[in-house]
Amino acid sequence: MLYLHLHQPWRLARFRFLDLGSGKPYFDIDRNLSIFKGIAQRSYRPALDRLRKALDEYPEFRFSLSITGTFLEQARLAAPDVIDRLRSLYQTGKVALLAETYYHSLAFLVPPPELSEEVALHRDMLAKEFGAHAKVLRMTELAYSDDLARFAEAERFRGMLAEGWEGVLRGEPATYPYCAAPAPTVSLLLRHYPLSDDVGFRFSSTGWNEFPLTADKYARWLASTPGEIVGLFMDFETFGEHHQARTGILEFLSALPGEVRRHPHVGWATVEDAIELPPRAPLSVPYTMSWADQNRDLGAWLGNDLQRSAFEAAKKVGVVARRCGDEAILTDWRKLLTSDHFYYMYVSGHGADQGVHEYFSSYESPYDAYANYMNALTDLRRRALDKLGVPILK
Amino acid sequence: MIRLSRPWGGPCDETLRRVHLPRLFRGIDGWARHSTTFMTITKSSGKARRRGRPKASKAPPRRKGRERPHVLREHRRSPDLSDTRGRMDSAPSRRTLQAAARAKAPLGPYGGAPRPLHILMVGWEFPPNHTGGLGVHCFELCQELTHLGHRVTFLSPFVGPFTPVAGVTFRHPGEKSGGTATEFPPAYWAGGTADSPFSDSIDGYNAWITGLKTTDPFDVIHVHDWFGTVGASALASRLNLPLVQTIHSTEYDRSLGHPWDHILHREELGILAATRVVAVSRHLRQQLIDRYHAEPAKVRVIYNAVRPSERLERIDPEKRIVLYVGRLAAMKGVDTFLRAAARVVPSFSDVLFVIAGEGPEYERLIQLAATLGIGDRVMFLGKVTEEEREVLLSGSSVFVLPSVVEPFGIAALEAMAAGVPTIVSKTSGVAEMSRGTTFRVDFWDVEEFASRVSELLEYPTLRQTMGDQGRWAALREGWPERARETLVVYLDAMRVAGVRP
Repeated sequence: MLYLHLHQPWRLARFRFLDLGSGKPYFDIDRNLSIFKGIAQRSYRPALDRLRKALDEYPEFRFSLSITGTFLEQARLAAPDVIDRLRSLYQTGKVALLAETYYHSLAFLVPPPELSEEVALHRDMLAKEFGAHAKVLRMTELAYSDDLARFAEAERFRGMLAEGWEGVLRGEPATYPYCAAPAPTVSLLLRHYPLSDDVGFRFSSTGWNEFPLTADKYARWLASTPGEIVGLFMDFETFGEHHQARTGILEFLSALPGEVRRHPHVGWATVEDAIELPPRAPLSVPYTMSWADQNRDLGAWLGNDLQRSAFEAAKKVGVVARRCGDEAILTDWRKLLTSDHFYYMYVSGHGADQGVHEYFSSYESPYDAYANYMNALTDLRRRALDKLGVPILK
Repeated sequence: MIRLSRPWGGPCDETLRRVHLPRLFRGIDGWARHSTTFMTITKSSGKARRRGRPKASKAPPRRKGRERPHVLREHRRSPDLSDTRGRMDSAPSRRTLQAAARAKAPLGPYGGAPRPLHILMVGWEFPPNHTGGLGVHCFELCQELTHLGHRVTFLSPFVGPFTPVAGVTFRHPGEKSGGTATEFPPAYWAGGTADSPFSDSIDGYNAWITGLKTTDPFDVIHVHDWFGTVGASALASRLNLPLVQTIHSTEYDRSLGHPWDHILHREELGILAATRVVAVSRHLRQQLIDRYHAEPAKVRVIYNAVRPSERLERIDPEKRIVLYVGRLAAMKGVDTFLRAAARVVPSFSDVLFVIAGEGPEYERLIQLAATLGIGDRVMFLGKVTEEEREVLLSGSSVFVLPSVVEPFGIAALEAMAAGVPTIVSKTSGVAEMSRGTTFRVDFWDVEEFASRVSELLEYPTLRQTMGDQGRWAALREGWPERARETLVVYLDAMRVAGVRP
């Protein structure tokens, strides 16, 4: 089961403290689009083309995609052909699309109805752009908890994705479908993180003792993994961006379905195929788990004081942003709730994770990220209060 | 270890920085509110302070064959202490607080004395060539006593030079012949080797004191620590003068329980011979009573102090400080600092921009501040001392290094080490190594400097986290690492030159 995640955040422009109240836009559209164009060139177009070719070549090949709203907005402006490619993939009927929050946001930590509204926005987007109706929900950063399972059940989703982390599996294998303990109708599809990270993180790492990773070796690993289903969940940008084309990652992607075919007992499935399998056992996750870092918690977004203070401030601004009834303000606020902004504020001494965070950051330091974010948020708050006619004290 | 290297018993560096220096500010409470660093300081000093009376340690076992006076143990309520009523200890107790209240009242022309006194002070080192607190103590005491109208003759084994103090006469052995006594090591190595010629030199110093030729009508002899006790006590009995002995630390403590006998004897002699003994803390006083058998009634406690910095007192403690420390030269970009200040002040009414340093641009910059209309929000301190700089740093909210050209910029590193969030110009050397822990700004970008300063002032979490992380980053590698790197260069150079290591 291959699942790829397509997302690009609306990165903030440098919004100085002195820009407060100046009406300057928070998001640097040109920069975001130029980044998007670069990634489209290096990753989206070549990888999508190869996936398309593989679908034609190998009739049993199937996979799943999740596409965030912010990705689609940027694609529309920067590279509409990427949307066309996605659409043609979906029309093959061998690709499942997943639902999630439109803004790839931390809405699940904000008081309702934010989460269901953002999921509804995303559902609308899928219906409009692809004519798709997603049965499986994937929360931002693969966040999962019992509460989120209840939410998925209430929203009539049939499945959710989660990290296959030993901490919650307690010795059970991650290679079976489970169901959520508080909501048994929701199937849980777990990510096999060692095999996923072999491609996602380690593929181009020359220090890795399995380097270089070839498609036939990887197919052998897949074939020898016990269980019913192996969840290979990764960022789409793994192919061509995180690992550049010269590492051979795109060839790896093209070759993989062919190599898997050599093992007759291994097949491909979309998430919608997988939820039809009977669950092995109910699984309870009382806290929020994610797919990031070594702790698999929300530490990557809300681990330090900067992140927590920024998020608390964002929650408060959310109240006024919602109350002021201005669509533009609410949209800006939702874009500020995108998890990436908090990810940039990560401060850590842990070598391994810090490297990953720096790679993804668009700032020089977490302090830059925080200051910039807080300025934008403060400005948004002023706008909202202004709209509400509340005098601003400072 | 600290005690060993700081035998005067005064505040060691750490205490000085944590406890005493903050007192340089009058409105310390106001500061504490703005600076978390300060809050921890006041907290820790509060914790360190002993509550209640110090525990009396047990009297040491008597040595055989030595005459010792009867062990006197102080009893707080013992009736024979009636003569200590109204004593002027600086150690606070209920009684002395009343006394202190009385002491605050105007004391008359000579600080409470009926006439100007002439004090013979038997000391050791004296500024500017001092290695520790004993010298500072004597210097400050001399300055204040002469200020009150008294005269001091200061004896030192060293030739000088001594920082001149009006009303203080310096005398040293060999003064007539022009001879020197520079072979004396500084105070802290004294007594390190019992059989060193140093022991003789000490005897020489004391012999000179004993036979001091003088016609001055001294009123009192004041001896500090053990160095001159032999001579001072002999002189006191020869001239029939009262002897005051100040003990800054004891040989027991300095040696961690392994005292040199000859030093111990000198201390015992001084304490025995003295009419009054001054200890620098109550703890020390109890030690003198327990271990040196000092008569409790004659031991007073007078704490050490620090001189308040007049310069820093001009700073309103209610204000938050944005600091620049450095020379005022064109390459330092202080212009940018002022222009950024002008952009910041409208949003923050409680912020003061402090410029510490002097240089050719001084007057022009004052002019510029006036032109920008922020004359009242910028303070030029001039050159500050090391201590003042530390106090400034620990009380600052933001440090800015706006240099146009700056090969390194160690001031920024010091600010980081002090836990102050720092903004540096990208052209400074320190910006290279502080990537990710400071805000780095183009030196010409006034708006960006102003924004960064504002952001740090506005967001307390940012200030806190950045300060903490900066401190960690600055202290992660120190001079040992740099020395090792230099060593590698030496070895490399030797290899290139063909010199075998």
